[in-house]
Amino acid sequence: MASTVVQVDKLTKKFPAPGGGEEFVVLDAVSLDVKEGEFASLVGPSGCGKSTLLNVIAGIEVENGGSVTVHPATESPDGAIHVGYVFQSARLLNWLTVEDNIRFALEAQGVPREQWRDRVTKYLEMVGLGGQEPNYPLNLSGGMQQRVAIARALAIEPDVLLMDEPFSHLDEITARKMRIDLMDILERAKTTILFVTHDLREAVYLSDDVYMMSTKPARIFRHVQVDLPRPRQPEDPRLFDMEKELVREFFSVLEQTQDQ
Amino acid sequence: MTMRLYMRLASMVTLVVVWWLASLLTPPEVLPSPYRILQTMGKILVELGPEGNTAFFHIGITLFRIVIAFVAAMLAGIGIGLAMGLRRTVEFSLMSLIPLFLTIPTILMVFLAVLWFGFSETGSLVAVMAVVTPFVTVNMAEGTKAMDKSLMDMGKAFKASKQMMLRKVYIPQLMPYLMSAFRYAFGMTWKIVALAETFGIKFGIGYMFFFWFESFDMEQVLAWVLLFVILMLIIEYGVIARFEQRAFAWRRTFSAAAL
Repeated sequence: MASTVVQVDKLTKKFPAPGGGEEFVVLDAVSLDVKEGEFASLVGPSGCGKSTLLNVIAGIEVENGGSVTVHPATESPDGAIHVGYVFQSARLLNWLTVEDNIRFALEAQGVPREQWRDRVTKYLEMVGLGGQEPNYPLNLSGGMQQRVAIARALAIEPDVLLMDEPFSHLDEITARKMRIDLMDILERAKTTILFVTHDLREAVYLSDDVYMMSTKPARIFRHVQVDLPRPRQPEDPRLFDMEKELVREFFSVLEQTQDQ
Repeated sequence: MTMRLYMRLASMVTLVVVWWLASLLTPPEVLPSPYRILQTMGKILVELGPEGNTAFFHIGITLFRIVIAFVAAMLAGIGIGLAMGLRRTVEFSLMSLIPLFLTIPTILMVFLAVLWFGFSETGSLVAVMAVVTPFVTVNMAEGTKAMDKSLMDMGKAFKASKQMMLRKVYIPQLMPYLMSAFRYAFGMTWKIVALAETFGIKFGIGYMFFFWFESFDMEQVLAWVLLFVILMLIIEYGVIARFEQRAFAWRRTFSAAAL
């Protein structure tokens, strides 16, 4: 039985309304568990608070109620908690080389300096960008920039890797290639993932667990497990069936909330 | 590249030729030829002038005044600008004062500063600060507000220290604003210092303009002007441009790997 890495318990987050009106509830008592080595997805319509959930887990934002706990992975050598984050856009520092961008994360996380070189090489090669160390981000395509961002997040050898619609800014062909490669990378890096997307097909293709979120009120209404063997084929009809079923559920929930 | 160089040279040569042709048509007291000016310039650099000093003495004094005033105005502007960009209370309290300073004509500001603080180092320093600091402030405040919040969140997500954020996230983003403020501030500073010297602050290049202007010696006036221009061009292209090139190297590097 794998241990829990991320434990989100009745998490509530509110934002003050613009103009000082009633507070806007972004997350309403959301609970979920991500087990070690698992790929969990959070699916929901735009603006349902998925990114906010990741931001609270990463410590960018502070919760108003409930709790978030990240447990160090069992084999974590230094006992410190490392949370990797891949954003919707690459968010690289354009004035630093690819190597220095990854070093930024390593330095910030207190990784010993003597490991930096090896880690940069290892993870750049893993994302297929070996040899790009001295290049600047602006010389890279959007897809390559996002690969650097993935390498940066993996290089800190995170207990959990948060990914916020990381392929939504890419064209579909690049995105598809990235999904296939991501599967491959994770096979090797053995990282626990919490992945946010609004694309159900992407979610079922990538995940072991899918959490479906509704908007207004923002809560998780369904948790499904995808019990399909890996490696998976993107064209697998079982994935289509599952996607169709989940889309149907989404619409019924959406209609219910609109009727209220 | 070479094309651009030729065009530049051609325009310079044209200017000198036009000047020379004009000097043929006017009496030398009004417009001496370029060659004569060059000769005079060489002379003031080595021979002792009316105050018993060579031009280097005046250059030194003017440069000293420029550097002091420039550094003071930049530091004040950066500090206030950052505070305005980061704190809304500071922004609101200073917002209405800045246009006031920005609209006062520069020459008037120099007059006032010299009247209030005398024909002294303080006079020119105050004049520079009154004109340059508000501009730098506005620039820095805008730069601070334009910083990319998504990069700040990235730094926060990876738990970067304050010091790391400043060095690797904030300052690089402020650099373009800092550089444009730097350029403008430098250009304004030397103009104001020269103006204040012309109004009567003892010694310096501006002081020499006025000295020779009063004795109707056009040759000397133009020689000093040319000297001043050359000096500022050296600083502009030799120091500032080079610094800029280094600071923004990341924007210009292209490599075959990206193709």
